[in-house]
Amino acid sequence: MLSVGQLKTHHSFSVEFVISRCFAGFSRETSLRLCRRARRGRNKKQGARRSNNSASQPSVMLSRLIVVSVNSLKGCGPIGAGLVHASRSLHTSPQSLAPLPPLPEKGGKVRHGIFPEELFQLLYPKTGVTGPYMLGTGLILYMLSKEIYVINHETFAAASIGTAIIYGVKKFGPTVANLADKINEEKVAKAQEVKDVAISSLTQAIDDEKKEQWRVEGRSMLFDAKRNNVAMLLETNYRERLHMVTNEVKRRLDYQIALQNLHHRLEQEHMINWVEKNVISSITPQQEKESIAKCITDLKVLAKATQARAAA
Amino acid sequence: MASRRVALKAVDWLAFAERVPPNQRSMFNALKTRSDAISAKLASLPETPAAIDWSFYRSAVAKAGMVDEFEKKFKALQIPEPVDTQTSAINAQEAEANKSALAYVEASKARIAQYEEELTKFKNMIPFDQMTMDDLSDAFPETRLDKVKYPYWPHKPIADL
Repeated sequence: MLSVGQLKTHHSFSVEFVISRCFAGFSRETSLRLCRRARRGRNKKQGARRSNNSASQPSVMLSRLIVVSVNSLKGCGPIGAGLVHASRSLHTSPQSLAPLPPLPEKGGKVRHGIFPEELFQLLYPKTGVTGPYMLGTGLILYMLSKEIYVINHETFAAASIGTAIIYGVKKFGPTVANLADKINEEKVAKAQEVKDVAISSLTQAIDDEKKEQWRVEGRSMLFDAKRNNVAMLLETNYRERLHMVTNEVKRRLDYQIALQNLHHRLEQEHMINWVEKNVISSITPQQEKESIAKCITDLKVLAKATQARAAA
Repeated sequence: MASRRVALKAVDWLAFAERVPPNQRSMFNALKTRSDAISAKLASLPETPAAIDWSFYRSAVAKAGMVDEFEKKFKALQIPEPVDTQTSAINAQEAEANKSALAYVEASKARIAQYEEELTKFKNMIPFDQMTMDDLSDAFPETRLDKVKYPYWPHKPIADL
């Protein structure tokens, strides 16, 4: 017979199985995971996390789950109710807010897709390797022979559908799983990129702010430059004034000198002109005739002298 | 007459240029060209004007006493130094700039603190492959789905998908 421990794990599996199948306004997100561990197609045993969630749900949900879990667990009806109570008693304390350890990479190991490995390990000491198989065969034969399970049309339908499902999963399972993983990876990569961009932009912003602060420190230089400019302008102005004064004084003195010179010159010229005029006017006509006759005789003498010289 | 000797503070234009932000570079260039022009003009003027040769003028100018009078008046002349109207304004500007700079530095520090806080938040985030959707909504509040406004899946307007 299955022990309570078995059933507990079985229960957690079945509850999970049920949760994923019959959702009625129940938040999926809290029980889904971003990582690939959550998205393996088959619901494997998940461990502590799942039972947390089931424990936090209102009792109404749990009773619904109890009903469905009873249906899915053949032959475990009365034990299912007790099982629920047993699992609930484990989670009476409020949820701790400590970060949960990450989920294991793979779910619990199973054989033939349904039967957990722990069953086989449990039975191994007593019955060896073939124990669970014998148990299974015995159970099936018992149910068939006692007609606890009746073979009818549904049997054939179940067999065909089961075959089709198993074939489909085995053939296309990995492909679909890879596709789902790829989609998830893309999501994670996008989120990661967002995070990286945010970190880099924040560090860049911090550096920029520090640089701006450094820039601000140099503001005194601007005002020094301005004050220098003002001082230079004033100094220039002062020097210009000095120069202007000197030049003006010099100009005036030079003007006086020039004026004096001008006077001198004018007087000189005037005197010369006057003297000349007087001399010319004092030359009488008599004197003029005499001087002209003298000039002519002088010229004659000169001409003779040159002729003589030319002839000689 | 005494010429004023003003102590000009040496401005390190290179260091100044480093601290100028790119959007104020043109203003800096204008300031520099103006300063250079002013200092060039200053350098071109000799400090004291050429001295007047009084003895020459005394001998040259005939009018008696004129040169002496000029000389006396010239020597007694005091040229007023130009009044400095701008330095106080500049000092006031500087005080104001200091105040606004302090305020800016304070604001900048606050911004830096905020950035650092966000940075630590990002750095201390758990890796994405260990997050649940709850954790994601906590870390990035903008991804939270509004279950009240949109009670039915996908909890956001179809156009946002």
